[in-house]
Amino acid sequence: MKRELIAVLVPLLVLTVGPVRAEEREPLLGDESDGSRAHPIHLIPLFPENEDGEKGEQIDPEDVDAMPFSTRLTCGECHTYEAIAGGWHFNAADSNAPAGRSGEPWLYFSPKLGIQLPLSYRPWPGTFTPEEVGMTSFEFTKIFGRHTPGGGVGEVKATDGDSIAKQYVSGKLEVNCLACHNAHPGQDQGGVNGYAVQVSAKENFRWAATASCEFANVTGSAAKVSVTYDPFMPDETEKNAPRVTYDKDRFDENGNVLVEVVREVPDNRCYFCHSDLYGTDSGEKAEKWKTDEDIHLAAGLTCVDCHRNGLYHNIVRGYEGEAEISGNAMAATTSCRGCHLGNEDGERPEGGRFGAPVPTHVGIPTVHFEKLTCTACHSGPWPGDQAVLTKTARAHRLGTPNVNKDPNVLPHVLAPILAEGGAASGTADDQIAPHKMVWPAYWGNLSDEGVKPLALDAVEKAVKRAFKDVEAPAGGGWPAFTPEQIAEALKGLAEVASDKAVYVAGGTLYHLDEAGELVTEADHPEAAPYMWPLAHAVRPAAQSLGIRYCTDCHATTAPMFFGSVDVDSPVASATPVTKRMVDFQDSVSPVYAWAFAVSFVFRPMMKIFAFGACGIIGLVLLLYGLKALGAVAKVLAEEE
Amino acid sequence: MFETVAIIVFLATLIGIALHCIAFPVKRGAGAGVIPRIVHVFSLLLIEQERSLLGALKKLCYLVTAVCFVVLAITGFWPVLVKGEHISGFPIMIHSTFAAVFAVCLAIITITWAGSNRFERSECPWLWRLLRRVTNLRIPRQEGPCKSTVIVKKAMFWAVAALSLPLILSVVLSMLHLFGTHWQEILLAAHRWSALLFAVAVILHTYAAARLQMAQ
Repeated sequence: MKRELIAVLVPLLVLTVGPVRAEEREPLLGDESDGSRAHPIHLIPLFPENEDGEKGEQIDPEDVDAMPFSTRLTCGECHTYEAIAGGWHFNAADSNAPAGRSGEPWLYFSPKLGIQLPLSYRPWPGTFTPEEVGMTSFEFTKIFGRHTPGGGVGEVKATDGDSIAKQYVSGKLEVNCLACHNAHPGQDQGGVNGYAVQVSAKENFRWAATASCEFANVTGSAAKVSVTYDPFMPDETEKNAPRVTYDKDRFDENGNVLVEVVREVPDNRCYFCHSDLYGTDSGEKAEKWKTDEDIHLAAGLTCVDCHRNGLYHNIVRGYEGEAEISGNAMAATTSCRGCHLGNEDGERPEGGRFGAPVPTHVGIPTVHFEKLTCTACHSGPWPGDQAVLTKTARAHRLGTPNVNKDPNVLPHVLAPILAEGGAASGTADDQIAPHKMVWPAYWGNLSDEGVKPLALDAVEKAVKRAFKDVEAPAGGGWPAFTPEQIAEALKGLAEVASDKAVYVAGGTLYHLDEAGELVTEADHPEAAPYMWPLAHAVRPAAQSLGIRYCTDCHATTAPMFFGSVDVDSPVASATPVTKRMVDFQDSVSPVYAWAFAVSFVFRPMMKIFAFGACGIIGLVLLLYGLKALGAVAKVLAEEE
Repeated sequence: MFETVAIIVFLATLIGIALHCIAFPVKRGAGAGVIPRIVHVFSLLLIEQERSLLGALKKLCYLVTAVCFVVLAITGFWPVLVKGEHISGFPIMIHSTFAAVFAVCLAIITITWAGSNRFERSECPWLWRLLRRVTNLRIPRQEGPCKSTVIVKKAMFWAVAALSLPLILSVVLSMLHLFGTHWQEILLAAHRWSALLFAVAVILHTYAAARLQMAQ
């Protein structure tokens, strides 16, 4: 009996104490800073992953069959990898991670199928999870991993048969620490053999971080070898197999490599995934050299001065109220207000960090600070008569080889949209903020729960007949579907959809009635655009809205309320459909916005009348005041 | 804080007027009751009509000012005191539209009424008696009863005129590219507080004017 008891209790004790001990693990060498502001030197050995997923032998650059180094096992020697891998850039698929305000989704698009879908693993309202469209984590990583620093979805264990085999060959896409922290100019994220190509073209997930660094070269492609290929037992006859060649000169006699790792990430690293190219009002092709950087960078700051993080990489996004959501107290002091104003009620002054000027906002009534975010007047391009097509690094694959540079290329992101984003945008319900926007276009199933997109492969099979003659424009834009083609595609989809097959595009819901005729429902709530707030590039104060006159915003043609927004759709329309900014501002009546703008025509007159009236009243008061004084003087002089 | 103080001040003013009415009822004129007199006074809209172009203009100006005051008071105080929010939307447009007319009419009223609102020695004999006693100056003796309603009416007229300056200037100055956020807040507060005092002065002036009319 005793033995049986011991046999039960001992494993229980081990199971209970084990995790506790793991949590209480001593911090690794690099987990805590000793306070020195100097860069620590990273002369380090490189370790690969073995076939069991554990630490292999130190990499020897002379080894012709050398494996790629694993950041999990190499960087993880001194930094707790699991802690880092839970950070903002990696935790999208973690349902326990707070989603925060809406951000840029991953945009899946197909001009031939009329699809433009905002995808996200985070539960941002208006986005869909990749699973909802039948996209596995492996496929998601292959398509979008190019503009991620690895980790997260890239490390999710494949569960479906095809992906399991592929993932064994490709490996997992580990957190690529070097993507951000390697200060060497040779760090190659977007070159012809760089990180993006390794991930999205070659499926070399395991090799991607190694290929991106300056001291290794990777050839071959996991996508081109059989799923039965074993990368841990290299076969010389497999010419397409991924292979690594290390720069032997970079290794010292102990096999250590000097990696130019810096704690403060250079802006150029951030730019690879966080670049924007706004279109022009004139429709001319936008050119980077004609645009300015964010004023903060021009002033000498770096991205990470504000967007900071500690070991857990819970990086500050920098919006109001973030501290309450993320639990990162630092967020409260690195927002616009945090730096420029500080907490006026705080125990100590916190504003003016990095020499941030404290704004005076001369002539701006205080109600503006309740109705507008700081970014409404200060961020993004100066709003023109029309929201412009905008390219982002992640949506348009900027910085990678063979990018379509046509201004009309999909996906169609419009900006700036001065809209009330509400809680999803991290703003008050009646607060206007600049946003980027996409009009979702997808084939879906309409049920009582709303519209959910159908699996992409099922859609492709079902609708390809309807669109067999459709040719995507060379520029990469929409092909302009006819209503007849939409109707035919919906008929093809009827068998795929469990309830009712619908097509969502340009704010309109398309479906077939019982007679098989196409029905269109414009401005359908299920077809609403997805918007996310933009914060950069911040313009100098001299270029902020309202710097000249109130009529920068309060005019009958001012973009703040009356700028037009194209309703982007793959469906051909006789006349272009547009909306106004005020249509995205629920608390503002268009009539009121117009009437208020008109009132500014009379405002100079009102000021003249008011000052004139004050002058007259003042003079009357002065006159009778003097008379009263004279009467008092007479009395005091005893003249009466 | 403003909301609480404003509600208390308005209630105190109205209760004070009611109590004053009860404690010191209007003396009846020859051959008319209180209600017919009230009807008569309000049919005159508090001021007598003079048979001249200037008289007609004065009355018209007064009427416009009165209407503007009512509109401004409702649009200005209602959102703040009742809804607990800032004035915004259409109310602010109505408010600013009527404010411009109000300012002009107020200036005209100030010019045209100033002379008749000069304080007379005979209206307040106790003040002269007090002065004589305190200062021992050679001040002519004044006899007769104190015309307190007249004094209140005149005092409130000058209070209205004086308060109109911070009331108007506080909001017009905030529209100029002169003052930053801190001063904008001060100007907004100045506008609110002077509006409160202005409204009380107008109420008291109206009450005094009505009493005088009814007593005639």
